[in-house]
Amino acid sequence: MNVLAVLNGELLKLRKRPAVYVCIGILLLLLLAFGYLLSWVVFTYTKQTTGPSGVPPGATYAELKKALYPLRFIQNTLSGGTTLGGVLALIIGVLSQGSEFGWGTIKTAFTQRPRRLEWLAGKLISVALTMLVMSVVLLAVAALTSFILATIDGADRTWPDAVTILKGLLAAWLIYCFWAFFGLTLATLFRQSAMAIGLGLAYALVIEALIFGLLGQFVGDPVRKVQQWFPLANANYLVQSFGQATRFGGDGAAARPYADATHAVTMLLVYCAAFVIVSAIFLQRRDVTS
Amino acid sequence: MVETRGLTKRYGGSILAVDQLNLNVFKGEVYGFLGPNGAGKTTTLRMLLGLIRPTAGAATVAGHAPGEPSGLARIGAIVETPAFYPYLSGWDNLKVIADYCRVPDGRLADALELVELTPRARHKFSTYSMGMKQRLGVAAALIKQPDLLILDEPTNGLDPQGMIDMRKLIVDLGKGERTVLVSSHLLGEVEQMCTRIGVIQKGRLVAEGTIDELRGAMTLTIRAAPAPQAQEILARLLGADAVSLRDGLFALKADPARSAEINRALVTGGVEVSELQAGQRSLEDVFIELTGSEGGL
Repeated sequence: MNVLAVLNGELLKLRKRPAVYVCIGILLLLLLAFGYLLSWVVFTYTKQTTGPSGVPPGATYAELKKALYPLRFIQNTLSGGTTLGGVLALIIGVLSQGSEFGWGTIKTAFTQRPRRLEWLAGKLISVALTMLVMSVVLLAVAALTSFILATIDGADRTWPDAVTILKGLLAAWLIYCFWAFFGLTLATLFRQSAMAIGLGLAYALVIEALIFGLLGQFVGDPVRKVQQWFPLANANYLVQSFGQATRFGGDGAAARPYADATHAVTMLLVYCAAFVIVSAIFLQRRDVTS
Repeated sequence: MVETRGLTKRYGGSILAVDQLNLNVFKGEVYGFLGPNGAGKTTTLRMLLGLIRPTAGAATVAGHAPGEPSGLARIGAIVETPAFYPYLSGWDNLKVIADYCRVPDGRLADALELVELTPRARHKFSTYSMGMKQRLGVAAALIKQPDLLILDEPTNGLDPQGMIDMRKLIVDLGKGERTVLVSSHLLGEVEQMCTRIGVIQKGRLVAEGTIDELRGAMTLTIRAAPAPQAQEILARLLGADAVSLRDGLFALKADPARSAEINRALVTGGVEVSELQAGQRSLEDVFIELTGSEGGL
């Protein structure tokens, strides 16, 4: 019962927090701009070129444009929206917890009725629900945009089957939950937002990609065996399991993910569980002195 | 209502914030927890609320161990400055707390009315003045209709009128069955609000009792010259321990009923007595004597 009571309060806080809307707004804006509109303008109004600065050999603008239509909106959204969306989900996760330390509201929360772990459970559920809303909004906007563009072009407006849409939604939700819980855990560890966002972004944009990118150049396949246990790689495997948004030149080995969706989902769930446990231990054991 | 036994908090190996504290706060009283800055007041209150775990000792607060949900349900608290969400209105901040505590929303309006914040209830907390923030803190502490209020330096940062209003509010809140534990480093404030006082110094409780008990017995104050001759006569009459000289005045631990006898002895001994007054030690004298500090007064 206390968890539900906390959940009500946490949802009110998230619902009324401008930063949440700013993050989701930025994500939608970038998805629309770079995932759809910019590509559509280029494919519609510019002359096709090939080579290093143009489209890959064998592909045409007409073929590439199909990624912008309803049938492939899941693939297009996931491939474009997970990294950027992940970063914004991380920021929401950090802010939801880090601000409690910054504003000292954690002492207000801990002197009410719920136990610390009940409070954490309520907060985690509220963050997870926010990520679900973010995933739904993202996919809905992408679907609507793809429908409008297909209508303008007079192209095929067939939707993917319901199972694919549902799987796409769950995949986006899982990836965003991973990032949000990662951010929340960092904020719990450092008891502040700034350090947590800095380290989270460093990991998301630099650390994993840099380490495995560099090592991969020298060591090759053994690196990918190690990489399959890391979160960013698994988020990518999951996205790739939906296939490429654009298909040309056949499904080559390079396009195939190193591990399958089951592996990716399992690993991301393990990471989420680990974050919950770490946050719980630190929140339960530490004194509140802020 | 609050009882601690050997409550101790040590940070690392060297910092002893609270040392073997034995505190007793009884039901229905307004208890002043008095001490200079850094004496260990806030650390103690945090331990009573379960925010900090003691290194040793135990406490019972509202019949439960600190931090127990059933105990917290009966406690309203402000620790240091009231902490709320700046982007939420006063009303929404209280709503979050009401949700946490599972109390009906109907109490929010009453609590806001009590602290005279109704007109600003829908404004963002970040736009509130310090006094309004403190009052919202009190409103938040009251929505549980608590049996015990724990208020840590509630007048900190308030202007003079705000301080007067807050003290009056605390006195009103302490009427009836409710217990109020209020910490402060301001003697006058504690004297005005509290029925009983505990004095903490360097983490140890150095005195506990009613204000009259702490002030001790009535005393006599005498201005007499020449002082050395007067001191000799008074010491012979009352004992050396009962006589102290400060700022040209003799403070005597003596029953005022002996005034005439003391006056006669001095005059007979050739000492001129220009002033003789019955009175009590001030709380400030007691505080300085107990803590050896005038800081924060």
